[in-house]
Amino acid sequence: MIKLERASTTLAPYGWQLLPMRFHHLDADSAILTNMVGEHVFVTPDELVAVVDGSCVDQEVLARLRAAHLIQIPGETLPAELLAIKLRTKMRGLSDSTALHIFVVTLRCEHTCRYCQVSRQSSAKSEFDMTEETARRALELAFRSPSPRLKIEFQGGEPLLNFPLVRWITDEAKRMNSSHGKDLAFVIATNLALLDDEILDFCADEGVHISTSLDGPQELHNGNRRRPGQDSWQQAVAGIRRVQDRLGQDRVSALMTTTEASLAQASEIIDSYAELGLRGVFLRPISPYGFALRGRGGANYDVSRWLDFYATGLGRIVELNRQGVPMVEIYASIIAKKMLTNTDPGYVDLASPAGIGIGALVYNYDGGIYASDEGRMLAEMGDHTFKLGNVHDASYADVMLSDGLLNPLMESLALSAPMCATCAFETYCGADPVFHHATAGDFIGHKALSAFCQRNMGVFTLLLRMMRDDPYFRKLMRRWAQSC
Amino acid sequence: MSAVEDVSGAGAGEIIVIFDQATVDLDALQRSAYAVAADMTVDIRLRGMDYVCTLFACHSGADDKLKHRFRAEVNDQILRARIAKETEPLRNLVFALAFSQTGLVSAGGADEPGAEDVAAPEAET
Repeated sequence: MIKLERASTTLAPYGWQLLPMRFHHLDADSAILTNMVGEHVFVTPDELVAVVDGSCVDQEVLARLRAAHLIQIPGETLPAELLAIKLRTKMRGLSDSTALHIFVVTLRCEHTCRYCQVSRQSSAKSEFDMTEETARRALELAFRSPSPRLKIEFQGGEPLLNFPLVRWITDEAKRMNSSHGKDLAFVIATNLALLDDEILDFCADEGVHISTSLDGPQELHNGNRRRPGQDSWQQAVAGIRRVQDRLGQDRVSALMTTTEASLAQASEIIDSYAELGLRGVFLRPISPYGFALRGRGGANYDVSRWLDFYATGLGRIVELNRQGVPMVEIYASIIAKKMLTNTDPGYVDLASPAGIGIGALVYNYDGGIYASDEGRMLAEMGDHTFKLGNVHDASYADVMLSDGLLNPLMESLALSAPMCATCAFETYCGADPVFHHATAGDFIGHKALSAFCQRNMGVFTLLLRMMRDDPYFRKLMRRWAQSC
Repeated sequence: MSAVEDVSGAGAGEIIVIFDQATVDLDALQRSAYAVAADMTVDIRLRGMDYVCTLFACHSGADDKLKHRFRAEVNDQILRARIAKETEPLRNLVFALAFSQTGLVSAGGADEPGAEDVAAPEAET
């Protein structure tokens, strides 16, 4: 038998070359080093300086850094080639824009949620419904997208108030797709109050996914989401159970919005999802748009309070998993995919280039085309910065090459934004020009003063500390990375 | 990592930190001032061979805490600049390798429809 001699991997001081890396101090005794694609290694601050100085003698540290493409032996070419392949893999979705197409089929709604971001209308005013002609033009634009996958999401208002159009768009999209052959999916974002057997039959026949809102326990939910009879929670819970029974456990998902009243109830919110058999919770802060900004809109809390809420909620989810109840925190799972794999999850808010337009397009009831749902909300407040045209007179090229889309995309690119360019979390984070336009008046914002930056830095730091300190959580994050 | 001297109580509400120009780049100071804007604003002036940084707290707090925060940020920025300088050729190489094979850039160039609309970049001198 031939015994192969392994080449020595001991690195002498100054015997390595730095690869592009960025660092962030997690606490006084620990820093994280990330490479160009977000692979990371935990080191001490002294180890960080020693590695950059060339004086590090700890072979275990050097081996970890070399394995993560943070250092290389001079003359090596493979690390740069591997980084390039991984970078290209992460970016491959860019050439397949746009996958998500949101149809606002009506502005009418029978709820009056305190944090509602859209300009809801009385449920009797049918002039706020999308017409078939507008929907047809929007579908034609959607099918011009090079993406091999199209997800058509019906939003409102309450889209089930214009259910005949939901059915018409679904039929028409399938007819159009016979010549395109795209992977087509449909989602209805509904409060479920109007769910009936006809709609369930339709969802069953057409493979439609239901996305609903559940803010937590009854009192909290009904306090946030008001409707005649004050029974929004009862309607949502009954609807979730009906969908689960008829279509299957995984055909319905729910989103929550954090109001000030939610902050003290993180564990109760998680438990309310678990009791319904929902396997994912998205702990979302309130968005700074629309009615949410009013005094009673529920947005009266700062980032640090939300981060405490998030940490408590995440802790409860981990505890449930330890007890054998599988549950995912959706935001953490999106970040896990970005931290632990070379596949980008395509989440619009955490994308750079930003996800506006190239990740999602929104067709308003009146034919207005918006770069994102938040851009539409700004328009309802009188700011039309992110309106890209109208389906009745704009071509696909007009929309995708418009200054209204390209300017915010180019200006907000995180790789060239102050502070983002040198941030260790740049590959995990996003640009979000709509948020910064709404809060700072330009597409980049000042990241030291940005709530978006503060919130995401807080979440990244929390997740990384937990992964560093808890092998179970690191394993859980690896599992979550495969779930989205 | 950087030669630092500080003078406290230079004026009411002012906290002064002095850096030796020989060891600290102005760019690192400016980046640091940008990064700490939530806690303080910083006035940077050249005096002889020193950069004199006057810190103005955004909120009431301990002077020492602000000074440590600013110094730590300056040290980090110096380290970041050093890493960036040492790794810039490799960073450019990785980007070039990553995006040269996407199919977005045509090897045929001028033969492609619409290529005549794109002006050739002038060579840098």
